[in-house]
Amino acid sequence: MSKILVIADQKDNKIKKSTFEVLSEAKKLADASGSSLEAVILGEAIAQEAKVLAHYGVSKIYTVENSMFKNYLNRPFIDGLKKVIDASSPKLVMVPTSESVKDYLPGLVGATNACGIMDCSAVSLDGGKVQIERPLMAAKAVSKMESSDDLVILSIRSGSFDAVEADTSLSCDIESVDLGTVDIKAVFKELISAQSDRVSLDDANVVIACGRGVKDKSGFELVEKLADVFGAAVGSTRALVENGIAEPSLQVGQTGKVVSPDLYIAVGISGAVQHTAGMSNSKVIVAINKDEEAPIFSLSDYGLVGDLFDIVPKLTEAVKELKAN
Amino acid sequence: MKFFVCCKQVPDVAMAFQIKDGELQKDDLNYVLNAYDASAVEESLVIKDAVSELDLSLVLMGAEKGKEALRKGLAMGANDAFHIEDDAFEGSDSHAAANVLEAFFKDKEYDAILCGKQSQDMDMGLTGGLLAEKLNIPYVTNAVGLEVNEEAKSILVTRQGDAGQEKVELSFPCIVSCSNDMNEPRIPSLRGIMQSKKKPMNKVSVADLGLATDAVGKSGSKSTLLSMDFPKARKAGEKFEGEASELVSTLIDKLTNEAKVL
Repeated sequence: MSKILVIADQKDNKIKKSTFEVLSEAKKLADASGSSLEAVILGEAIAQEAKVLAHYGVSKIYTVENSMFKNYLNRPFIDGLKKVIDASSPKLVMVPTSESVKDYLPGLVGATNACGIMDCSAVSLDGGKVQIERPLMAAKAVSKMESSDDLVILSIRSGSFDAVEADTSLSCDIESVDLGTVDIKAVFKELISAQSDRVSLDDANVVIACGRGVKDKSGFELVEKLADVFGAAVGSTRALVENGIAEPSLQVGQTGKVVSPDLYIAVGISGAVQHTAGMSNSKVIVAINKDEEAPIFSLSDYGLVGDLFDIVPKLTEAVKELKAN
Repeated sequence: MKFFVCCKQVPDVAMAFQIKDGELQKDDLNYVLNAYDASAVEESLVIKDAVSELDLSLVLMGAEKGKEALRKGLAMGANDAFHIEDDAFEGSDSHAAANVLEAFFKDKEYDAILCGKQSQDMDMGLTGGLLAEKLNIPYVTNAVGLEVNEEAKSILVTRQGDAGQEKVELSFPCIVSCSNDMNEPRIPSLRGIMQSKKKPMNKVSVADLGLATDAVGKSGSKSTLLSMDFPKARKAGEKFEGEASELVSTLIDKLTNEAKVL
């Protein structure tokens, strides 16, 4: 019998939605294979939040608390997680993908001499083998891969699995692991963050994304207004980031974030594969575009052919009215 | 200063491709220099223009035709290239690639190794960080900006992180993996193309690196690619045309009563 370890991802000491998706799937895999499930969370002040992990059927939680996690650098994560992996000795490690995870995971895979596979969308266990599916070729193809290595570390693409309901009656042992001294050959200098009160793309149930069609800052602001009435996150294509209309952290696509909200509204987005690679897993997709031949319509559940400058303000008013009632 | 850029030749993912019996049909593919690697080359050349002396070498592991990708980098302005070519590489994963690059770099002098943040065909993004761990040097991924401090022997990397752009300073030697959001790679000039033909293209084999053939290719890999397929296509749904306020009421109705997301 083996063990599965889930690495929780958190922001501002709050566990992200993507972690519960991965935990739910890991629990299923553990139950089906007679394995045990453990979890680890690292952060500045996460002892309280860590308890939430138990609600998903975890039998043991490791916490690594240290002020070094305040500003992101990869080394403290690599060293802290290596300690936990040595203590837990899992066969399989699963972690939801984020920009930080994409950064520290290659180092962790090297440090633990594991087999690493990034951005998986399906996982199964077959005896001693781990089998996965993952997109490749700009998400125009899907591959099946397997590894029979003693330790396999997988990052999981957001939206690949559904989170189950938390069972708040559950609890388990929590072990605090000391990070110790870390030999960091890097210095964190500065965080340039786009200050926004809006929900982040990672956690949003609704994403309103825009592309070249919005033309300029005033078109972008129309989309922001629509996002605000929905309580949604704003997303963007690479083109709008490049010409300075949208913040780089809003970019959705192959280079950028992969999102899978319940509702994705694509405003003035033609639907190039570099963009759709980051959103095609959304549950419901709406496209607003004046070009009826735009490729985005081929993956949209509802397509509105028309001028976004007419439609978006009217949609904003309609949603505002709906939410008010 | 001495920089290396690790390059990969990849199929042009913008083009259509065929998959037959679970395998990518390689004959009809058009191969190009990985776009993220091209950004790493471009950024090195920007530094080369700004800094007095920068010697820029390229390294690529892969098939014979990989030299076309190296030629492109040389035509852009790199000084020389190393082509690690061996039949034993067939079926390599990131781990096997990192083994080869580790063997290549272990007796080399360098200040920084740049690479693309991932390859456009596999989209894995492991090799740079794995290599850094093997060489025991610091690394940062997903760089969107670089500033070299020659005197301090360090590099200030701006990376796109989760909460915004993070500025991290790394001491030499180090590895930086680059995003294509960093720059727009230059198109080689005719003069550059002519000059590239005279620039050194050094051939390296697995034996030259002192590697056993079972440390590379399939036997040096920790994962196996079993098969490929096209993803289940999303079906196109309904498309509506008409006056804006009608379109909006139709959409609100659909989202509320059919999709039930409002």
